[in-house]
Amino acid sequence: MKGDGFQMRRIAAIILVVLMILPLATAAFAGGPPPKNFKKGVFVEIDKASGTALFLSSDSTETMVVKLGEEIKAEDLTLNKKVMMTFEEHDGQIVIKTAETMFLDLTLSKFIALIVVGLIGGLLSGFIGSGGAFVLTPAMMSLGVPGAIAVASNMCHKFPKAMVGTYKRFRYGQVDIKLGLVMAISAIAGVQIGIKIQKAIMNAWGNAGSNLYVSFVFVIVLVVVGGFVLRDAFKLATKGGEDSKPTLALKLQKINIPPMMHFKTAGVTMSAWITLPIGLATGMLAATIAVGGFIGVPGMIYIVGATAIVASATELLIAFVMGAWGSVQWAISGLIDIRLTLLILSASLIGVQLGALGTTYVKDHTIKLVMAAVMLIVAVSRGAKIPGYLADVGLRSPLDPTVASVLNSVSFWALVAALGTAGIIITAAMIKGMASAKQEEKVVSPKEI
Amino acid sequence: MQTIIFGVISLASYIILFSNEGLVTDTYTKGGYYAAFPIVTAFWFSFIHGAFGSNLLTVLGLEAKKSKSK
Repeated sequence: MKGDGFQMRRIAAIILVVLMILPLATAAFAGGPPPKNFKKGVFVEIDKASGTALFLSSDSTETMVVKLGEEIKAEDLTLNKKVMMTFEEHDGQIVIKTAETMFLDLTLSKFIALIVVGLIGGLLSGFIGSGGAFVLTPAMMSLGVPGAIAVASNMCHKFPKAMVGTYKRFRYGQVDIKLGLVMAISAIAGVQIGIKIQKAIMNAWGNAGSNLYVSFVFVIVLVVVGGFVLRDAFKLATKGGEDSKPTLALKLQKINIPPMMHFKTAGVTMSAWITLPIGLATGMLAATIAVGGFIGVPGMIYIVGATAIVASATELLIAFVMGAWGSVQWAISGLIDIRLTLLILSASLIGVQLGALGTTYVKDHTIKLVMAAVMLIVAVSRGAKIPGYLADVGLRSPLDPTVASVLNSVSFWALVAALGTAGIIITAAMIKGMASAKQEEKVVSPKEI
Repeated sequence: MQTIIFGVISLASYIILFSNEGLVTDTYTKGGYYAAFPIVTAFWFSFIHGAFGSNLLTVLGLEAKKSKSK
């Protein structure tokens, strides 16, 4: 009974903390905040000759005349279909910059594609704590979903998935709730700083410069961290020995500057002066490269000193907190295509549980191996975009169209390869783990009888 | 049995949502307070469909490794 009361108090305290941090988190979403200068509605009439169109905005009952911008052709606009239109105002006249159909028609192949990506993405995030988002957003965009809708629908799918994953892995005793909340809170603060830096770069070098900067940081971070994790995974795999705590983490744990924080599940006591900056840095990077998990999990392993199993489980909690708040923001902007969200969820909710239970069968180094593989292949995918961005800012001559299209498909297929590789390693490790667990049971049970 | 119950509720929810596609996508993207629609829906599906998935995996014989006593 005493235990129950303690548990209740703990849960109440956690809910309180989460409620308190939510207002702080107004800008805490990877991939940047929702766009501001846009309208939703339908085109009711297009006048090719004058380059204008009649637009009925969703929030009004009267149509308005809008001018077609330079990049828009009359043929690109569809009549009587809900569109998302970004615009600029010149002398009181609304000039369309972009107009994209909000809800694509779901054909059978798109249906299946979303479900398959959802399943493997779910498996991956159940296993390594993050994943899916980096491939789901580009996958949706390549199916013809506008970028903002892809990010929004993906975000709305992330938090239910992370919630189910956290619950499962909490039951396996792998989630360190305190560590997760400390990381999430400090990461949220970090995201704010990251967005500020991002905006400063945008103002200084424009959109192309910002793309280049993001990709550059992305590739460097993923190659360095991914390479480090891979080396560690191989060392552990070849030695076959038990996981030893990283030396850096051990050294940092010895630093005794109060307030000290104790993380029970992770089995770590560390000064708050070290844990908080890690979270902060995670958030800053997450705001820049949009995949916080690739930093958060290695951070928790190598700097805090948690095992890969606890770190990846705790990352799911962080993803839930940050994903839920991000989703509310995008939902308020009205950009979530719930059909896409639910289609991915239909498979990813099963995948995430499969991945979560898979972690109970594998050793720490398998999780590290999957992480490293995914990070390095995704780095290739983004690296393939850098030449294009370099040309955009004028640091090199424009790309040959064939080269550009080759690089584009390299970028896309690398993402598919990352998912495929992860899926294969996870499945193989799980089958192997289950088989050996069955054998152990066979050996043990006669003795017990 | 639980698998079937959750499966049916989940499938029914999917069918209801997708057969009213036009109305749903319109309401859910109104923004402002209508933001509650997608969020509540996401929670609803994560409970129902999540429970279905959990039971389904158990039925298929996929369960977590029983932890050894430490």
